[in-house]
Amino acid sequence: MNALVYILLAAGLIFFGGTTLAAFYWAASSGQFRNLEEGSRSIFDGDEPVGTATDVFADKKASRPLHRASAGRTFST
Amino acid sequence: MSMTFDHPVTTPELDKAERALIDESTRIPVLLFYGSAVFWLLIGTLFALLASFKMNAPHFLDQWGWLTFGRVRPAHLNAVAYGWASPAGIGTALWLMARLCRVPLRNSGLLICAAIFWNIGILLGIFGILSGDGRSIEWLEFPNYASFMLFVAFGLIAVWAVIMFRFRRPGHVYVSQWYLLAAFLWFPWLYSTANILLNFEPIQGGAQGAVNWWYGHNALGLWFTPIGLAAAYYLIPKVLGRPIHSYYLSILGFWSLALFYSWNGMHHLIGGPFPAWLVSASVVASMMMFIPVITTAINHHMTVRGNFHALKWSPTLRFTVFGAMCYTLSSVQGIFMAIPSLNKVTHFTHYTVGHAHLGLYAFFTMIMFGSMYYILPRVVGWEWPSARLIRWHFWLSAIGIGVMVIALTIGGLLQGLALLDPGVTFMASLDYAKPWLLLRSGSGILLTGAHIVFAVSFTLLVLKTGKRREGPTLFGTDQGEQPEALIP
Repeated sequence: MNALVYILLAAGLIFFGGTTLAAFYWAASSGQFRNLEEGSRSIFDGDEPVGTATDVFADKKASRPLHRASAGRTFST
Repeated sequence: MSMTFDHPVTTPELDKAERALIDESTRIPVLLFYGSAVFWLLIGTLFALLASFKMNAPHFLDQWGWLTFGRVRPAHLNAVAYGWASPAGIGTALWLMARLCRVPLRNSGLLICAAIFWNIGILLGIFGILSGDGRSIEWLEFPNYASFMLFVAFGLIAVWAVIMFRFRRPGHVYVSQWYLLAAFLWFPWLYSTANILLNFEPIQGGAQGAVNWWYGHNALGLWFTPIGLAAAYYLIPKVLGRPIHSYYLSILGFWSLALFYSWNGMHHLIGGPFPAWLVSASVVASMMMFIPVITTAINHHMTVRGNFHALKWSPTLRFTVFGAMCYTLSSVQGIFMAIPSLNKVTHFTHYTVGHAHLGLYAFFTMIMFGSMYYILPRVVGWEWPSARLIRWHFWLSAIGIGVMVIALTIGGLLQGLALLDPGVTFMASLDYAKPWLLLRSGSGILLTGAHIVFAVSFTLLVLKTGKRREGPTLFGTDQGEQPEALIP
């Protein structure tokens, strides 16, 4: 096995290990780990807010609430 | 009440239009990857059936070298792992990336090139394996000319992911996105390193086994698992309209997976000619996997809790929750299988095959089906043609995989105990598994049925056949009502 392969593999190890650590550092320092409650709601928007279910069988008309929150319950963890 | 951080003024109508735009932008790449995934799923299923039947009737179709067990079995593994599961995962991941970056998909040329390279790679690889050109390295059987194509495709997708992330709209990075970035960036590295060390500039001796299982296990844990979990962490809350139970735990789960998983592979080598510390460290890391597994299990269960009746209404949720439950099951099973005293019984038996199907099928594939049921109508702008087909698909695949895992588990345990018994000859130990292998072939027929039903459903949707449906899951329709509005 030639030296180039070793260098390539070592460089890969350092690069990918390094970027993972850097990503963790970035996440911690840029506030990604703060305000988690708000973060968990980042996938909802005004059109599909918390409390709105978004999937049913194509031929089904839901006969009762898909979701209890549709009765107005709010979620807090 | 919009939750996007940077849009102080936004209306539901704007949000809806924006989401439709993002979904639409992913259409061509997602359809390319999904389409090839479904095609290779059918091919892979065919090889699976052949390989399974050969267990019941060893001389079945063995007059042609091309169709002998030693080639059909790796052809099955590679067709479903790289032909079906990976493109299905990539298609899902592309759509998730666009939604989570909150910008339309850009540089789709990179992805289209990747899809082309990908399919050429799979075609060459399967052809290579069948013609006797395959490598006897599990998970890396593809000959060099095929794995190189896959590497190019992986590379293009990784570059695209970095560009996408770079130009995302600022705001919170949702947990699914962490999983996706990890998969996109780590996997090309794993794949290239393993291929270099095993195929291009092969290292010698036992170290090959170590590299083999470092790769083989990481392919499951750092490629398929993150994509499956990313989809579950997005779809379950989104379908239910309920944020994840404990977001803190989900973040902890991701970083502990990142920390522990890559150590796990050596537990495949328990009892082999390897330094004891290497295997022991891996067994300990396997135990540590309880942390990401339990956090994920708690989160998914607690998010759905109280809304299990929704499984009746939502195809996406039904498949995804089934998959999420099987993630817990297969992970816990895997952790126990790493304990040397249990490994002694299960290693080199059909039990391991059952575990592999529990992980890649009952967990990953079911979540991919669930994702497709959610994503495709939004991307194509057309509803699934028939709820009946979806129900058939679900029950055939759920019962099929259930029977398969149970059969292989029992058969494998009996086989393993017989193997350890000095009073039982090797040939006699195989007899214990025989009836269970017959049952496994039966379950394979159920799964084949499920895949055909799904392929029909998929084709009808993509071709936009039938009457246009107006349903709540339709993408971009003005009449699209929310499910609550349908309640009488």
